[in-house]
Amino acid sequence: MSKLGQVVESVEKYNQFVLEEVKRARSDQKFGRDLLGRWNDIKAKIPITRAPTGLPLPRLALPEIDEPGEIARFLFGEGLPGEFPFLNGAYREMYLEPIREVESFEKNGEVKKSKTDKKIPQAEEPTRLFSGLMLAEDTNERFHFLTAHQRTHRLSTAFDGPTLYGIDSDADGVFGKIGEGGVAIDTVEDMVRLYDGFDLGSAIFSASMTISGPAPIIMAMYIAAAKRRFGSSVVPKLRGTIQADIFKEVQAQNETIFPIEPSLRFLTDMVEFTTREMPRWYPISISGYHIGEAGSTPVQQAAYTLSNGFAYAEMFAARGIPVDQFGPRLSFFLDCGLDVEYIALARVSRRIWAIGMREVFGAGPKAQLYKLHTQTSGRSLIAAEFKNNLTRTAAELMLAYMNATNSCHSNSADEPFTTPSEEWIRLAAHGQAILLEESGIFKHTMNMLSGSPGMKAVERAVEAAILEEFREIERLGGVLAAVEDRYQRSQIQNASHRYEQQINDGTRPIIALNKYRNGSDEDMPEVKLARTPRKKQQLQVDRLAKFKKKNAEKSKRALDKLAAVVETGKNCFPELLDAVEVCSLGQITGRLQEVVGRFRPMV
Amino acid sequence: MGSPIRILTAVPICDGHDSAINTINLEFIRHGIEVVYLGYHRSVGDIVRAAVQEDVRAIGISSYNGGHVEFFAEVVDLLRKKSAADIKVFGGGGGTITHEDAATMRRKGVDEIFFAGTSLEDMVKFAHQRYGKPRGKRARAKTSDIELARMLTEIEDGYAKIKGKTSKTRPAMSKSSTRVIGFTGPGGAGKTTLIDELVLRFLNKDRQSRVAILSHDPSVIGEGALLGDRATMINSQNDRVFMRSMATRGQAGGLSPATQDCLALLADSDFDYVIIETVGTGQEAMPFRKNGIVDQTVLVMNPDYGSRLQLQKIVMLDLADIVVVNKSDLQRARTAHTEIGQRLEQNRRAQRLVDTVAKRHRDSGVDKLFGLISASDKSKRGKERKKS
Repeated sequence: MSKLGQVVESVEKYNQFVLEEVKRARSDQKFGRDLLGRWNDIKAKIPITRAPTGLPLPRLALPEIDEPGEIARFLFGEGLPGEFPFLNGAYREMYLEPIREVESFEKNGEVKKSKTDKKIPQAEEPTRLFSGLMLAEDTNERFHFLTAHQRTHRLSTAFDGPTLYGIDSDADGVFGKIGEGGVAIDTVEDMVRLYDGFDLGSAIFSASMTISGPAPIIMAMYIAAAKRRFGSSVVPKLRGTIQADIFKEVQAQNETIFPIEPSLRFLTDMVEFTTREMPRWYPISISGYHIGEAGSTPVQQAAYTLSNGFAYAEMFAARGIPVDQFGPRLSFFLDCGLDVEYIALARVSRRIWAIGMREVFGAGPKAQLYKLHTQTSGRSLIAAEFKNNLTRTAAELMLAYMNATNSCHSNSADEPFTTPSEEWIRLAAHGQAILLEESGIFKHTMNMLSGSPGMKAVERAVEAAILEEFREIERLGGVLAAVEDRYQRSQIQNASHRYEQQINDGTRPIIALNKYRNGSDEDMPEVKLARTPRKKQQLQVDRLAKFKKKNAEKSKRALDKLAAVVETGKNCFPELLDAVEVCSLGQITGRLQEVVGRFRPMV
Repeated sequence: MGSPIRILTAVPICDGHDSAINTINLEFIRHGIEVVYLGYHRSVGDIVRAAVQEDVRAIGISSYNGGHVEFFAEVVDLLRKKSAADIKVFGGGGGTITHEDAATMRRKGVDEIFFAGTSLEDMVKFAHQRYGKPRGKRARAKTSDIELARMLTEIEDGYAKIKGKTSKTRPAMSKSSTRVIGFTGPGGAGKTTLIDELVLRFLNKDRQSRVAILSHDPSVIGEGALLGDRATMINSQNDRVFMRSMATRGQAGGLSPATQDCLALLADSDFDYVIIETVGTGQEAMPFRKNGIVDQTVLVMNPDYGSRLQLQKIVMLDLADIVVVNKSDLQRARTAHTEIGQRLEQNRRAQRLVDTVAKRHRDSGVDKLFGLISASDKSKRGKERKKS
């Protein structure tokens, strides 16, 4: 049985355990009394907050239960926010606004007030916007613009197509795609330019890089660039995330450059290095977003993301990396659309992850957390009467927060027909602020919308369906075997096709597209896109030529050394770190492909 | 009955967005179109080469990652340069292609750009109206690849006109320097991957040799087909490889009515190796005729064939020169090797059994198979065939 099979068993066993605890709480009087006592304690310690209108509310809402069996069901089955199995949240307070005065009910019923000594962080406008355009210096300028008035500098980097596929800007047939949809990075020199002016080792800086196929090479370039600017001592201080999710690339997004097994080996090499040398870095973002956007059902998205995560954990553990070293460095990324499953998709995911990590991998509390970034669904947005997309995104944001996501990205309404413009980006970001900061829905009370009978019903159905997906993957021989068998891929494609058919035959209403259509969809503004001028593209090609010429001799030696280590099967990340000093992305990719082969596309 | 429309579809280089094209492919197929799908992340050169070899009516490109104005224009330009301007270009890319872009692209020779919200029906209608009429008289072919591609089309269309017609027999003779190798076996055994890996070895062996591949996918008479073998090939996207994808158009047994003639033509052309791949076949199939022009037959098996009894029913196990157990990294591979080995011994012929893992880079089993294929004495075999 693979670890995934064990995860299924552990969840079933845990559910059984909860039922038994419920029974025991009812039959074993002492246990029941203890639980009741603990429950009353918890309730007594909940601080009181006041809405702007003066209405007093508890900072944490709990179900109105006083029967030991039900208390056991809640505490063991769901857990308080921040407590195992984390159904209600990975952390205790999440979106709660800081309070200046703590009020609490003392045992005698009087309200006691005391000053909090906690520092009160001010919320910042949500601006971790995915950016990347043209050449490194253009993106750098954009980064500075975005963070000009921010106390924290959190940059999210998009790369252009050639970079995502690990090829150079001078490769055959890519002219026209240089700097399109993201920034063009060929060499460590580009990487230096990209984050110029930012203090990479500072606690207020973090970089996110959305790239998977060539992630280890790009990671090495980032480290090399940081070292060039700040010396070797900066390495342990680097903060950020690199996506590096190979499974979802093969399952959905198609940006894989090496065959699966060597891809996973290079990934593990990188993870082994970063979790040891860069304890603040997230070396993988296990992503369901692209699975969802490729057309999967919500359950497929959650199931494949979780099972991919468990497969990575199995791989890293097999390499000998301690689970409490890599576990806290894993993070997740989900899509949030309008289907009913999204009411509880992330809640259930968080619970399954925690149980699996604790029971199957022996993970400690920090390595049990399913830390989640959510993005609203791009696929749910449509061009016809596109302003409706504001409503769609707002509803999706609401669902994401009901799931207690740790962070969120909201899409711009104009996305279906253009690269988002300033105006609509701003509206999308403000949607988050309106829900979290302006409205009282999430800022006063944790669990404000948790635990409704409907949500419970969705949780049960979604968990059962996810476990059934796990069983099927297990029957196919585990995640890797199922991936090679194209199982997830074909399931996603079928779901996508069904979705399109449902839109076509009207069984899936899309307002203003197949229902309540006004006939004219010409309210689209004329858009002007920021394209990379030919002159800039040529500049990138010329720079690369200069770099290659300058390093002609050294690069050959570095590549030979890299290839030799790859052949031995040893961790090749240190050699990658050397190679990026003198080799371009494409040179390294090409040489590695000679040794391990190229990815064979799946259809 | 007229011949189905043949269209090549692809996603440009550095672009992996294949969700839309997959849906469109299925819709085209449902409406009688034969779609040669090249896959995603494909260069202009790969697309134009494939379109020329397949002699399709048009190329449909689905582009989401930007750079489309240049990319589409380069495809049109390269078609012109290759004297293949009668192959048309259309495409789309959701919201990423603006109306202004589309106007520019049309000016540069693109037939049509579909915007987000275009219904599948409209696309199918477009394809039928624009590319469904028989081709007019075509200008003289300027390159040998174009000439060959057109001759293959003529042969294939000739059979399509006469329902139920089977292959007339051309002289079953290949040039003495050409080796013709037939690959068959059940679906999912990895024939295409294996062939692609062998092609890499053919190409590396000497720097001049050319390889032709005739690949088959199933279809029903008068209906569409997904000809998808090219999409998973990486080494065969090469100027030294001429590949043609054929739908079986209703014929059982793994090949098309026109196969024999097409194969004869390829064998008589200037290739060092001609590889023919059948559709995934059943137990009873014997796709290659005895004493035909196939020099060597390879049966590619999956280790998961069921019980030992099943092996007795597989006719090709008696006929194949080489039997390959692919995916030999699977648990059942050892059993398969032993059982198939015993089965072959009964035949008392010099059949060879090779274990491969085609998906693995530099697999030693594939090296061994390559040795068996490339080393055997062509001239001797050729003589034997003529005698018999």
